[in-house]
Amino acid sequence: MGNFLPLIQNENMKIYRRPRTWVMSGILLVLVIAISIMWLIFGGRDASMWDVAFLESSILFLLVTIFTVVIAAGGVAEEFTSGTIKLLLIRPWSRSKILLSKYISIMLFAILLAILLFASTILINWICFGINADPAIKPGFMGIDQASPVSYMLKYYGLTLISLVVTVTLAFMLSTVFRSSGLAIGMALFLLLGVNSFIGLIAMLKYEWIDYLLFIHLNLTQYLDGNPMRDGMTLGFSLGVLAVYYVIFVALTWYVFSKRDVAS
Amino acid sequence: MQEPIVKLQNVTKKIGKRTIIDRLTLDLPLGEVFGFLGPNGSGKTTTIRMMVGLMSLTEGEITIGGHSITKQYEKAIRHVGAIVENPEMYKYLSGYDNLIHYARMIPGITEHRVHEVVKLVGLEGRIRDKVKTYSLGMRQRLGVAQAILHKPQLLILDEPTNGLDPGGIRELRDYLRQLSKEEGIAVFVSSHLLSEMELMCDRVAIIQNGKLIDVRTIRGENAAKANNRVVIEVDRTQGALDVLLAAGVSGVLEGESSIAVDADKESTAAINATLVAAGIKVYGIRAQVKTLEDQFLEVTGGERIG
Repeated sequence: MGNFLPLIQNENMKIYRRPRTWVMSGILLVLVIAISIMWLIFGGRDASMWDVAFLESSILFLLVTIFTVVIAAGGVAEEFTSGTIKLLLIRPWSRSKILLSKYISIMLFAILLAILLFASTILINWICFGINADPAIKPGFMGIDQASPVSYMLKYYGLTLISLVVTVTLAFMLSTVFRSSGLAIGMALFLLLGVNSFIGLIAMLKYEWIDYLLFIHLNLTQYLDGNPMRDGMTLGFSLGVLAVYYVIFVALTWYVFSKRDVAS
Repeated sequence: MQEPIVKLQNVTKKIGKRTIIDRLTLDLPLGEVFGFLGPNGSGKTTTIRMMVGLMSLTEGEITIGGHSITKQYEKAIRHVGAIVENPEMYKYLSGYDNLIHYARMIPGITEHRVHEVVKLVGLEGRIRDKVKTYSLGMRQRLGVAQAILHKPQLLILDEPTNGLDPGGIRELRDYLRQLSKEEGIAVFVSSHLLSEMELMCDRVAIIQNGKLIDVRTIRGENAAKANNRVVIEVDRTQGALDVLLAAGVSGVLEGESSIAVDADKESTAAINATLVAAGIKVYGIRAQVKTLEDQFLEVTGGERIG
């Protein structure tokens, strides 16, 4: 019934009218500038702009994920804690469509942040290192046989965005199921950062079931340079495992949200 | 009589083993202000939550405008405006943005209508301010505004006078009565404030421990006649009771030197004559018109939550 777009417009309004969204974007931008300037001061100007841009992207993409997790964790939980969920749901829209509008606007936010990061690293480093650069300086961040730095970066962004979608969907699920944004942020970040730090150890174990753990597959950029964490794993296999987890997360989120009695 | 806009049939809600609402059956016609009265914890808000689809029904059926709230939710809720408990708004948005937010969710609400509603609830001066700066009364007004934006046929208000000052309460009361009479919509108001219900409603349902105890008409001819209680001060209470019993009227002891009987104007005179004829001295007779509060306490047995 009716046009779905106004619902997304509503959710966007709730994201972008809050100062925290702009603070997050600002932090991202400031860090890009700060790293480039520090490089200029301590490393000099004889670096390839692509090397600096890639370094910044690989460090700061984690922030894109964290910020989106924060927004996603708030998405449903804050409607419950503030009580606004009641007035939101008593409209001629099914609950699943209202949830979908939230999910879409969160993913749009993630994509916008990723674009902001990509554009700002390239623009700022072109200003810092690219203008009148010595043609002898070649980017060194990728393997020798790679084609262009732009296509390599785009592939890198594409693969990390896939993991971001899975992580953010996990946070969105926790937010919906537990109705607590703190818990959702905490658990999602623990899984993202905490597990990542000893995932290398787990990956060395020889058990079969480890191949199916979510966290082995969250870092897809391992396939970019052709050295996967575990022998015999391929990009296709990783994407398959992620897809199964994704479907489970989404199904659980929508089921719980549609069935739940709202009594806050 | 026309088809009621809302029908509750054997509505039951169980949470675990507790029965929160027990086989509630109610009909609401258009053009009536209907009060839903009950002590705290009696199940008023739970019933409202089920009526607007926030909670599932364990048993029974609720239809609004002929559409089932469980099976055809989007159609049923289309003509409902509601405040459930406190009107919680997005505090980081302005009052106006909050209204735009809800207006976007229902097709056909123009910006003109939004301004009209803002004027109606008297928030013109502060509508561009963030909701976090609003007082409780202003939030209540904004809550009413979002509920009537789409000109609903059924308006459900949970404790609407919470936080309003006496002037605001009067204004709201007049407005609700006007809405129901002139626009012919059904208004469903819950409250535990009895005196207020008396002034606001045409009919009142009394609910306790999840059970419908009584539905009473407040306005209309029947309301005035019934339930008159007469207290008679006499010299010998026991003697008076005996005399009355012999005459077929049952009375009860009321205090040290009085008895009380249920009687209308004519039978009061007859009772008096009977007593005097039997040699009992009658010192005084006064009619005790029961207020809704007395009725309410009577049917709920003045029971505490427990």
